[in-house]
Amino acid sequence: MDLRLEGITHHYDGLLALDGIDLAVRDGETVAIIGPSGCGKSTLLGIVGGLLKPTAGRVVTVGAPRADSLNPFTYVFQDFALLPWRTVAANVALALEHHRLPRAERQARVQAALALTGLADFAAALPRQLSGGMRQRVGIARALVVRPAVLLLDEPLSALDAQTRELLMEDLLAIWARERSTRLYVTHNLDEAARLADRVVVLSRRPGRIREIVAIDVPLAERSGPAIAGVREHLWALIRDEARDAEREVQHG
Amino acid sequence: MAERTAPVPFRGGGFQPRPRRLVPVAVFVAVIGLWQLASARGWLPALFMPSPWQIVGALGDMIDSGTLGKHIGASLSRIALGWVLGTSAGLAIGLAMGIFSAARAAGLPVVSALFPIPKIALLPLFILWFGIGEPSKVATIGFGVFFPTVIAAYTACDSVPRNLIRMGQSFGLPAAAIVWKILVPGAMPGILAGFRITASIALILVVAAEMIGAQYGIGAFILSAGNLMQTDQLLAGVALLSLLGLAVSAVLGAIERAVLRWR
Amino acid sequence: MHNRFIAILAALVTLSVAIAASAQEKVSIAALRFVSSAPIFIAMEKGYFKDQGLEVEFKFFDAAQPIAVAVAAGDADLGITGLTGGFFNLAGKGAIKIIAAQSREEPGYDFVAYVAGKKAFDAGFTDPGKFPGKTIAITQTGSTFHYMLGMLAEKRGFKLTEVTLKPLQSIANVTAALKGEQVDGALLPANNAYAAEKDGFGKIIGWVHQETPWQLGALFAGSRMIEQRRAVVEKFVAAYVKACADYAEAFLQRDAAGKRVFGDKADALIPIIQKYVEPKPSVDQVKASASYIDPQGRLLVKNIYDQVTWYQAQGMVARDVDAAKFLDLSFVKDHLDLPKR
Repeated sequence: MDLRLEGITHHYDGLLALDGIDLAVRDGETVAIIGPSGCGKSTLLGIVGGLLKPTAGRVVTVGAPRADSLNPFTYVFQDFALLPWRTVAANVALALEHHRLPRAERQARVQAALALTGLADFAAALPRQLSGGMRQRVGIARALVVRPAVLLLDEPLSALDAQTRELLMEDLLAIWARERSTRLYVTHNLDEAARLADRVVVLSRRPGRIREIVAIDVPLAERSGPAIAGVREHLWALIRDEARDAEREVQHG
Repeated sequence: MAERTAPVPFRGGGFQPRPRRLVPVAVFVAVIGLWQLASARGWLPALFMPSPWQIVGALGDMIDSGTLGKHIGASLSRIALGWVLGTSAGLAIGLAMGIFSAARAAGLPVVSALFPIPKIALLPLFILWFGIGEPSKVATIGFGVFFPTVIAAYTACDSVPRNLIRMGQSFGLPAAAIVWKILVPGAMPGILAGFRITASIALILVVAAEMIGAQYGIGAFILSAGNLMQTDQLLAGVALLSLLGLAVSAVLGAIERAVLRWR
Repeated sequence: MHNRFIAILAALVTLSVAIAASAQEKVSIAALRFVSSAPIFIAMEKGYFKDQGLEVEFKFFDAAQPIAVAVAAGDADLGITGLTGGFFNLAGKGAIKIIAAQSREEPGYDFVAYVAGKKAFDAGFTDPGKFPGKTIAITQTGSTFHYMLGMLAEKRGFKLTEVTLKPLQSIANVTAALKGEQVDGALLPANNAYAAEKDGFGKIIGWVHQETPWQLGALFAGSRMIEQRRAVVEKFVAAYVKACADYAEAFLQRDAAGKRVFGDKADALIPIIQKYVEPKPSVDQVKASASYIDPQGRLLVKNIYDQVTWYQAQGMVARDVDAAKFLDLSFVKDHLDLPKR
């Protein structure tokens, strides 16, 4: 299933946040969206998944999602959005509970998602007992359990420390090697974009417009250190000035 | 060259209240002991303040005459029924106000207008509406409990993080599932905190409720002791009420620990 | 010279009057703004207190209980109000002493009525003997109404436990319960009883004075007041009794047929009573609530012993309370119905 964004424009209280975003995402592709803060990248992700209504434009799918996908557009949230009163397994199961599934299949799917994210031993733990990295693994397991056609990752590693982020990036790559889905990955971290994405969409700041789309030709497995240094440099050069402006801005409201 | 060494003095510590199990008991014992001494020595005239021993005696008389159980039973059943009814109605309205904008717009002014009215002032009306039997007593407690529950429930709904609700929507959860699996459990801490307040209100109101036509009940007992100037019995009744308050608080604490284990 | 002598004389007279005025003893009395407090209003307005050299201050309360508490605590020197279980418990602690009579239920003088609700009356509740099995509204446990029912039970030979009592705190609530048919009957003061009958929701089925005459209220003083300022109490009682006599002459007259008659003397005293009673009563209301007060301030002594015994039997008054210890019969002569001891 391919995905097409057609002229997505969005206003917040009269302020133009996104201006005419056109983008085609191929099935199975990983597209990172980067840009300085305030460029509307999270807004764009909200619009793609149907949580926000754009002022103009539309998102269309081309072709049908895979047959076993229970929730074609599925998010992974920056703040994990786990229910603190549910155990790890129950948080993952939440995504399945309202679907008509045989009990055994539901359990099997939860077990599989937990195994895939390395949470099998923590099924009965409560979120507060887990580290930030483990919590986000639960968020990822919950997303995988519904077999998404499009995985919408909204700064999934931003709330984590650098070491945990490094570990999770490796895990994500391992998971993606086994899991077929299209991914839209919003981040402000150039490293993540350069490490994980097939293409990087660079947005300009206020209003958000596509500034450049950078394709990364290096195979995923070889993207450590010097291999992607050039890509990283290039991305940084694109957003550097605007990132400075964003940093110096006085917050209103 | 040998430099002089000096340890850096410790400046931290303090400002960190820790539970001391024995202190409250000791304070309690000391206050009662002093009170008994003051009564025995005649510093506290018996006319105005009975001694703890006399109060214990009054309690003993109630046990001997078998009225203690009747009083507690009558009050507890009124409190329980009134509290359950007021809480159920309050939760229904409060959750509705937490979920639906229209319900909030309609309910908030009504609740704000009616909440501060002392329920005791409405007693004559309650007599006309509900008679002088059990219904008016249960209604007095129920009404007193209802409004704080409404307020606790809808503010608790507001305190549930919106991102959890967006998460539910993003997984395609039906609205009912969002309410029962996300909103209600998320509002539970606020609702339980409201229960602590409403339980105290119910205890306070039982005295008012039993002003009207009650033969038994701790409130009726306190009122009649007051009318008869039986200060020892009056204070025995008050002591019973506060023991009841402690018991209710302990029960609520246990419920909180069980329900909010995840915190 | 002559003028000068008169001027000096005038100055002396003024001075002596001023000294006399300043020498007046200050006394305070706690009371309710009820018609039953009439003697102290009359004594005040007719100058009987002043004649005794007393400067009396009224301290008004809205319930009987605080009056006894105020006197016991020394906030007021004397008090005048109805006798209740609470009063006896307080008196039993030794801080107050009863010295003269206030209202009493006296045959021929309507004061408190047995009232049946309309429906209960139609169903046969037509006589004070038919209280057993009924639900009756009273104001409070241990109130005078409670005691009046107790006396009736004794006289008519039923048990008070056969009557379901509903304490409703106030006459207004009692009236409301009667109106709403939530009780079968009630005991109500004459005014309220007449009103219930007029509005059709109640029927007067008898008067307490027909069944059980008794001493309703009393004048009392703090024990310390009697010890330390006995002469002042004596003067107060003298003025009080004089006013009681006036009151009796005006309000307690009956014609040959036994019907009460109110003449010019009543008309003269009614404005005095209206001045103090709240809410301000009409002339007819004053006449309807004018209870019997002994013209000489004499108490029905034995009845007070009986009251204490009854309250004790109900467990409402402590066992160690002894009427003999809180009655001081030395201020009024010839008290009535003294118990044989």
